[in-house]
Formats: sequence, C-alpha cells, structure tokens
Amino acid sequence: MNRYLLFCLILFPLLGNLAQADDNFTYPVDNAFLATIAGTPSALAAPVPAEGDVRQTDLAVTVIPERYLPPVLSRYRQLHYRLAWQDKPAPLVFLIAGTGSGYSSPNLDYLKRVFWQAGMHVIVLSSPTNHDFIAAASRSGLPGLGLSDARDLHTAMSIAAEHARNKKGLEITEYRLAGFSLGALNAAFVAHLDEELQQFDFTRTLLLNPPVDLYASINRLDALARTQIDGVSSGNSFFEHIFEKLARHFESGITDIESSLFADIQRSDNALTDPELAMLIGAVFRFAAADLNFMADLITEGGLYSPPHEELRVSTSLTPYLRRALFCDFGCYLETQLWPVWSSNKKGKTMEDMAWETSLYSIEPFLRTNPDIAVLTNADDFILTEENYHFLADTFGERAFLYPRGGHGGNLRHRDVVLQMLKFMGGNAQ
Amino acid sequence: MIRLSPSLLVAGTLLTSLAVHAQTTETEGSRNMLERAGVATQAQTANAVPPYRDALDGLTIDTEGTNYQFERSSLDALKIHDPIEGFNRRVYRFNGQFDEYVYLPVVDAYEWATPRFVRTGVSNVFANLADVPNLANSLAQGKLKKGARTTARLLFNTTLGVLGLFDVAKAMGLPQESEDFGQTLGFYGVPTGPYLVLPLLGPSTLRDTAGKAVDWSIEDAAAYLDNRRYMNQHPWSYGLYAVNLRYINGFRYGSLDSPFEYDQVRYFYIKLRELQIRR
Repeated sequence: MNRYLLFCLILFPLLGNLAQADDNFTYPVDNAFLATIAGTPSALAAPVPAEGDVRQTDLAVTVIPERYLPPVLSRYRQLHYRLAWQDKPAPLVFLIAGTGSGYSSPNLDYLKRVFWQAGMHVIVLSSPTNHDFIAAASRSGLPGLGLSDARDLHTAMSIAAEHARNKKGLEITEYRLAGFSLGALNAAFVAHLDEELQQFDFTRTLLLNPPVDLYASINRLDALARTQIDGVSSGNSFFEHIFEKLARHFESGITDIESSLFADIQRSDNALTDPELAMLIGAVFRFAAADLNFMADLITEGGLYSPPHEELRVSTSLTPYLRRALFCDFGCYLETQLWPVWSSNKKGKTMEDMAWETSLYSIEPFLRTNPDIAVLTNADDFILTEENYHFLADTFGERAFLYPRGGHGGNLRHRDVVLQMLKFMGGNAQ
Repeated sequence: MIRLSPSLLVAGTLLTSLAVHAQTTETEGSRNMLERAGVATQAQTANAVPPYRDALDGLTIDTEGTNYQFERSSLDALKIHDPIEGFNRRVYRFNGQFDEYVYLPVVDAYEWATPRFVRTGVSNVFANLADVPNLANSLAQGKLKKGARTTARLLFNTTLGVLGLFDVAKAMGLPQESEDFGQTLGFYGVPTGPYLVLPLLGPSTLRDTAGKAVDWSIEDAAAYLDNRRYMNQHPWSYGLYAVNLRYINGFRYGSLDSPFEYDQVRYFYIKLRELQIRR
C-alpha cells in the first residue's frame, strides 16, 4: 500500500508536467469515459447564474395536429420546449439536444444559462430521436435521416419561435443555432436547409461534439454496451455489479449519500474501472435506443413492440414492450425500422448511401465555405473515428475548436471552452 | 419518495444521464465573461490539431453480441414484484398531474414569496422533528453510534439552533442521518413486499408504507416539543409541512426522459432502499 502511494506521489506530478508540456488546456481528466460522466470540476467551470435566477419557462406547442397518441402517451401530444428570454430585443439561439436527450437535460440547461447570460433568448428543443419529439413533431415517426430530421426541426423551430413571440412578447433581432452531439449534426443540416428556405438566416451555427458519420458513431456507441467486464461472468448482472460497488462504498461509512456521489466513489477503493465506465455510457445509450425503437414503432404502427391496434391505457404495463425493445440497439433500429422504409422507394441504393446522406460529408462544401458555422470537439471524443476527427479539423479549418481532452462533452463547462463558445456565438449582439 | 427522492435522483442521473454535474456554479463576476472572451487566447486552432486518441482501443468488446451482458442485466432489473401495477401506474400518472397543476405551482409561489433563509428555517424545523424517529430507528437497529450522533443533533439543534430553526449540528460536522421504520424492518430481514405507488407520496412498498405509518406514530407518541398539539391548533402548519416536503424534494416527473419512466423509477426506488438499509 505504502509503495503504491509513493508510486502515485511520484507519478502524478510527472503526468502533470507532461500534460503541461503538451498543451495549455487546464481540463484535468485524461480518461475520455470518466470525463464524459464526471464533467468539469466546479473550480474550473465557467460561472453561470443559478437555474432559479434565469427568466425561463417550459411551454408546449402543437406541431402535428392530426397525430393520434394513446392515453398512456397523451403528455406528448404537444411538443414541449424550454424558453429563457430577455426583456429587450435580442438574438434568439435554438439549442438542440443530443441522442435520447430532452429539452431539460443538464448539459443543455447549462448551455442555456451560458447564452442567456450573454444576453440572448434561448429556445431548447429535444433531440429528434427523443421519444417526445418523435411523438409530437416527427412527420415520419422515424428519425435518423439528416434531411427529414432537419425538416421536422425547422418546422418545430418556426412554430416554437412564433409561439414564444406571442406568449412572452419576445423581440428577436436575429437567429442563431447550436446543438450538442447528434443535435449538432441536426444543427448543421438545419442550417444547410435554411440556406435554401431563407427563413431564419442563422448568423451563427455552433456544432458541439457532433458525429460526422452518424452511423459510424452509432456503431461505436453500440459497441460500448458490449464491453467485457472483469467480474461479470455469464449469469451475473452488470447493474448488480455496479450496485455492489456503490453499496460497499456506502458501507465504508463516512460518505453522505446526497453529496457528490460520483467524484466520491472515484476517489475510493471502489472506483469504477474503464470498462465499467464505458459500459455505463453504453447502457445509457441502449436505454435511449429502447425508447427510440419503441416510440418509432408505435407511431408507425409497425407492431414490432406494441400491438398496433391495441389501446395503450394509463394502466397498461409497458414493461413487456421495454423487455423486447431492450434487445434492439441503434444499429438494429437502422436495420429493422429505418432501412426498410428508406430503401423501399430507392431502388439499387445501399445502406452506405443512406449513411452518407446523413453524414457531414454530404454537406461538406457548405461547411467548408460558410464562415458562420463552427465546430467544437475533442481529440478523445469516442463517437468519432480518426478519419471523422480529421475531417472536422480539415473542413472547418480555423473554425474547428479542438481540445486534447474532454471525451464526449465532458469539458463543455470548462472556462476556456465556454469563452470560446461565446467568442464565436456572441457575434453582433455584443 | 419523500425523503428518498433527492438521492433517487442522484442515482437516477448517474445511471440514466451522461451529464452528472452535481455542483452548481455561482454568478459572481460572470458579466465580465464576454469582455474576457475578447482577449482570451484561443485554446486550439487547426494549426495545432491535438492528436486523435481512440478511447475504445483499450476495451475488450464482444463483437458477436452473443454475451447478452446488457440484455441479461436489464431484464433482471425489471424483475420487481408489482402485482397491482395497473393501479400503481394510474396513481403514478395522477401524482405527476397533481404535481404539474397543483403541487409545483404552490411550491413556486412559496419560493417566490419567501426569502431563502425562511425556507431553509422551515425545512430545518421539520427535519429536527424527524430526527425523533431517526433516533428511535437507529437505536432499534442497534446502531448506537448513529443514535448518539442523532441525539447530539437533537440537543444542539433544539437549543443552540432555536427549536431546530438552524441546523447548527450540520455545521459542526453532524449531518442528518435518516433511519425510518421501513429501514429497520429491512435491517431485520423483512422483505419489501409488493411495490406500491402512494397517492401524493409516490413510490413505496408494502413494507415501507407500514414503516411510514409507524414513524408517524412515533412522532405522535414522542410529542417532541409538543409539535402535534401545536400543529393541530394551527392547521396551516400542515400545509406548510406539505409544501416543504415538495420543496426539499428535487424529483420532477418527466425528468428521466423516457416513456419507461415508471419502470426506471421502480427499479431505482427498490435499489436505493437497499442501499439505505445496508448503510
């Protein structure tokens, strides 16, 4: 034990020095999975107002009046969105959430406060792949295609902006756009679409940790849920395994169950290992995939998970459908739901064609030449392949803000990163 | 749900959201941010592309997908005894709607009308009263040290803390340690029994519901600080009790962001009770 301690004492400053020599980015977490889950230490985070101090409210609009939803899902007949507004004329930023995230997810709430504090109105929208958006605003009910998702989003944005203007008397000077993760890819396609439609004329579009080739990223996320973990042999449950670690941690006493749980555990003997962190992230995405599979099937009446003509009442147990949907990851969604519909009217096209149309490669000239669109990502963002990463660096050039560490969005609250975002997004408002 | 849900939310976010950021940051000096942005050196540009690192490289991945680790674990997590699920789901929905149309608007009004120190004081007073069953249950489980700490809390907070208005004990390094009768039953091996969703109170089990009733009778019987008589004389205090109950509880319906929220909350509730019992 003592020798181990000594080893750490020697090694840590050494590692620190190496990192210092390499770059001047003070974000400390070198492990991409840990960074993604733990985020930014509060001492290094950019200061933003408390949630309670933001002038904000949640609103809902009807996007597809003719859409029928069973009673159990009646909450999603309207598309809910979050609005933070200024009481004077200001630019409006649309924020689009990432895969399986809604308008109220913590990262988006943080970004909302960053832009609100900088004097902008903010509208936060759920990801087109999130169950609420599929139900309320996806025409096809089958998200995952660059252009059709962009059309759905563009419609939802128009309706929401008009609604917010009427409800809260918003005075909008210009429009901007930002998205996180899949939401960033959506933002790129919306900006591209709007260039044709010329409705919003976005003055700034910021892509935060986007995938480049959505289907390549999906493969990588699906793989995380198949990570092999020491100590979880066949017959054991991964969640029980994690739970045991938590329980042992609490049994050791000293800790407060309400306090910063995660940081506390990672400092203890029961710290989660790399494969366990990867598996946790993978599991979260698998649950998002289950939501997506179930909801898309329900809207399209595919009958894969819930019987198409059976009324799902408030008291109906959805557990059997969840059990079935849990077996289908994102790749499975593409194969069983998206591909059959997409390919049915496109003779001779392959899955690769579908993938290409939903990649940033397909709108490369737009991204390369448009000075008002920028990307921010990390060298260790695990949704990117090496080729994807270099595509971003090459295509965006000086508008690619690339950081050496941070995983998938783990450094979004870091001071330097927030400054960079505002420097780009601040634009004419300032 | 009541006392449990902030921690339920913590575990919930740990397992269901990638974005666990427990700490909130302060407003201080933030207005200068844009000015500083102007002079800040741009961290990285395309001229200095940081070398790509593949985080998946170090992992062993079951490419065949025949291991079913995720599926097996998830199916296992769904095995919870819930014989009156239809009723529970209705109550769950009712609670969500009550929250949306009544409970949360009232809590919002409460937050709007009162300064923070008043709300904290109110929470502290009720928390101090709750230390009576906390103490009883610590002792019932033979957790003498925990019982001693809770006794100290009661003494300090009731005297120095002016009838519990200030949580001076916490400042002295003695945070509240909840022990309810449901935990005591669990400690002695009583199984959870069927899962229940209680109107207004939220997720529970047969064991924990019985435990709650016992805890209330303990508070009654102890008549600590004569609180029941006082509350009966001033019925509004029950309203304040109910508002405070929701005020201190961070859980929001819909926050798990899934059509399967009921299933997830059910799992987290059972697991968190297990954790609390093992502590």
